[in-house]
Amino acid sequence: MIVAEGKPVEKILEMLAPYKKVLIAGCRGCVTVCLTGGEKEVGILASQIRMARSKDGNPIEILEQTEERQCDAEYNAKFLENVGKVDAIVSLACGIGIQYLGEKYPLTPIYPGVNTLMLGANIDVGRWEERCFACGDCVLDKTGGICPIARCSKSLLNGPCGGSQFGKCEVSAPVKEDIPCGWQLIYDRLSALGQLDKMSEIIPAKNWLRAKGPRTYVREDLTLDRS
Amino acid sequence: MTKQITNIRIGIYLCDCDGKVSKKVDLNSVKVAIQSKAEFEYIRAVEVACTKAEREQIVAEIDKYSLNRLLVAGCSDPFIVRQFLQLADDKGINRYNVEFVDLSAAESVGAAVSAVDTALNRLHLRAEVGYEELAVIPDVLVIGAGSEAAAAAKAIAKNQPVVQIDNVGTRVIGLDGFPGAFTVCLLENGQTVKKDFGAIVLALGAVPQYDKSKYGGVELGADVLSLSQFINAGKDYAGKKVGFALGKADEDSLLSFAAVLKAALDLKEKGASEVSIIYEDMKICADGLEQEYERARKKGVNFLKYTGEFQITRFASGIAFMYREPFLADPAKIVADYIVLAEDFVPAAGTLELAEIFDIRTGPGGFFQKDNVHFLPIRSNRAGIFFVGSCHGPIHGTDLYNEIEAVLAEVSAFAKGKVSVPSLQPKVEAEKCAVCLTCYRCCPHHAIEIVHGEEYNNMYFSAARMNPLACQRCGVCAAECPGKAIQLPLYSDQEILFEVQQPARIVAYACENSGFLASEFAKTLDPELQKDLQIVEVPCSGKIDIIYLLKALENGADGVMLCVCHKENCKFVWGNDRAEQRKVRAQQILNQVGLGERIDFVHVAANQGNQFNTAVKAMAEKIRQSGTNPGKVVK
Repeated sequence: MIVAEGKPVEKILEMLAPYKKVLIAGCRGCVTVCLTGGEKEVGILASQIRMARSKDGNPIEILEQTEERQCDAEYNAKFLENVGKVDAIVSLACGIGIQYLGEKYPLTPIYPGVNTLMLGANIDVGRWEERCFACGDCVLDKTGGICPIARCSKSLLNGPCGGSQFGKCEVSAPVKEDIPCGWQLIYDRLSALGQLDKMSEIIPAKNWLRAKGPRTYVREDLTLDRS
Repeated sequence: MTKQITNIRIGIYLCDCDGKVSKKVDLNSVKVAIQSKAEFEYIRAVEVACTKAEREQIVAEIDKYSLNRLLVAGCSDPFIVRQFLQLADDKGINRYNVEFVDLSAAESVGAAVSAVDTALNRLHLRAEVGYEELAVIPDVLVIGAGSEAAAAAKAIAKNQPVVQIDNVGTRVIGLDGFPGAFTVCLLENGQTVKKDFGAIVLALGAVPQYDKSKYGGVELGADVLSLSQFINAGKDYAGKKVGFALGKADEDSLLSFAAVLKAALDLKEKGASEVSIIYEDMKICADGLEQEYERARKKGVNFLKYTGEFQITRFASGIAFMYREPFLADPAKIVADYIVLAEDFVPAAGTLELAEIFDIRTGPGGFFQKDNVHFLPIRSNRAGIFFVGSCHGPIHGTDLYNEIEAVLAEVSAFAKGKVSVPSLQPKVEAEKCAVCLTCYRCCPHHAIEIVHGEEYNNMYFSAARMNPLACQRCGVCAAECPGKAIQLPLYSDQEILFEVQQPARIVAYACENSGFLASEFAKTLDPELQKDLQIVEVPCSGKIDIIYLLKALENGADGVMLCVCHKENCKFVWGNDRAEQRKVRAQQILNQVGLGERIDFVHVAANQGNQFNTAVKAMAEKIRQSGTNPGKVVK
């Protein structure tokens, strides 16, 4: 799932300074699941902005609407009526949704209400951890099903490095949370699987071009001729 | 609830309670005011609503005007509440569609009208509560090998089928499902088998454990026995002197005291020459124990009180307790051939594993059940899973039978194979459900499942569903849902937010188990203080959504309070903790935009009216310092 966090409200207030009537657009996809941009957060942000603007003697009218997925044009079409009523949109979808909703309504300025963080797993309520970097060239077969790109701070293909201490990454301290060493995890998993010999295989340099955008993915067998 | 109810026909009865109400408020004026503004079918002011004649007339009016919802404003005497609920049942009116308003506290016509109007709006907004007929499995699984499990199984077997397992030969390794339809995965002769049960009774018992550190390091041996060794050995002690020591271990239960009394009487009957019991505190506060004690004394058992520490010393003539008697200056001594020492009780093997498999909590000493006054002894945090006996802390004799009776009352509800329950569990609007598992993970009662099917109108064809038998209606799920897909009947967002549309200066969201009751008490202590205060009752503080806090302020309140149960005293496990986390975030939201300190989180018990008022004063002082809420949005 795509994981996002709410943007600091002062930034959002700055963006909205010129406007008197805006739409906050939520998404029922990943950002609802990661508790950042569903109907609930739309309501909370709207209430906060209304109060902030009232306090500043510059009241704002806010419409609230949440639809299925902002990364699909058909769902974005449902915002049509409300977009017509406002000066600007704040989207609480991920970066994809924000842009794609903006593309649908190019004459209405759109602003991000979230920072899109990562592709992660929801470990438990309120905690998400990165698992995939979307590098476009998966090596999980060689690494016991644990991704060295996403889970090693240096994205080393042949680790661990000297910064692996007692199973933790040396980067841990500055970020104030223990980061497990990705390569320690790989070693432990391979060891449990009886595949430790894989540790001695050299993984050749990746084709990092596949990790660089702008990327497009087309399946000719599925594309429709709409002419 | 968003579901629109058509054809709502409300009858309003304004009861003077034999002149009590009209001392302060003219009921006719109230009636006229309501008539001019509200929507309803029928209204009547009555002198005393709880008479037979009135009852008959109301029945006739229900038929004549086809009333399907009732509002009764007068006193809030339990008698009239019961009578109207009965009347509703008799007339086929859903009892959740009867609303009561207490007019005895109203000081003016305006206050009375506003109270009636609020209740009337609540009735209009209320979704219809249906009843569900559910098929349930009558079979009960009793887990445990000892006498407690056997007694429970025997009692239950009179009403419905019982399977008893010892959790050693046949072990529980998994659990699925809900009350009335649990599927238990068992390991039986090395094979896994699944069996279905309606309810589960845990009766693992407790086991004695000798702890030498409590007796100055004395090791057990031929003449020093632990109480359980002594009982199990069943040796002949005719002509011998036996001394028992109580009070150093198992201090909190009656179990050892009862066992020692029984053993002492037995020894006397079988001809022991001298039986002495040294004790620190007499523990006989249970049915029959005091009589046992009296009998033991009559038979010549010595009861000797000690204070502080005692020593166990060997002499040529035997072994002795050296102890200090509270009223004698010199140390005292009891010499015996055998001494028997009380032991502590610890949870039986498998307690922790079962707690994990069933996701039920353990508390002090590792026994089942958290130490929380709101939890009934036999109930776990999951409906349909019960505790009996010493597995939730050592218990004795009659207490055990009381527990078995209580469990019997619970499980026998399933004996007929079906139950009818009001459909009061939260409802999920599938279209908004992202199947994110937030509710599933936050539910303290394991009452939620994810169901799939064409009828769930979203891209996953799936939605969360709350089981009506497992759900305990705390509303935590509804408050956590990121998609606003969940509504708790009788406490929907719409109903609660309606109450704070034009809020008082201070809005207090109050848990009905603590804060709300404290607020009722507080009213009687300092009526003046309540002027600027509005109480919004919630079933648990875990139902207090962040948006409730913000909306009250957005609509013009200057301060908001959350009045919740004391720490580790939430009836719904962690509802108050969730509320506290939300309070922290809501205050951050205010701070980010410079609205000042306006939210207070107050732990308060039902009987703490004074503390409640102190908290209200503190809130008032806080908003005096922060000033009038500048965030109020003028519509």
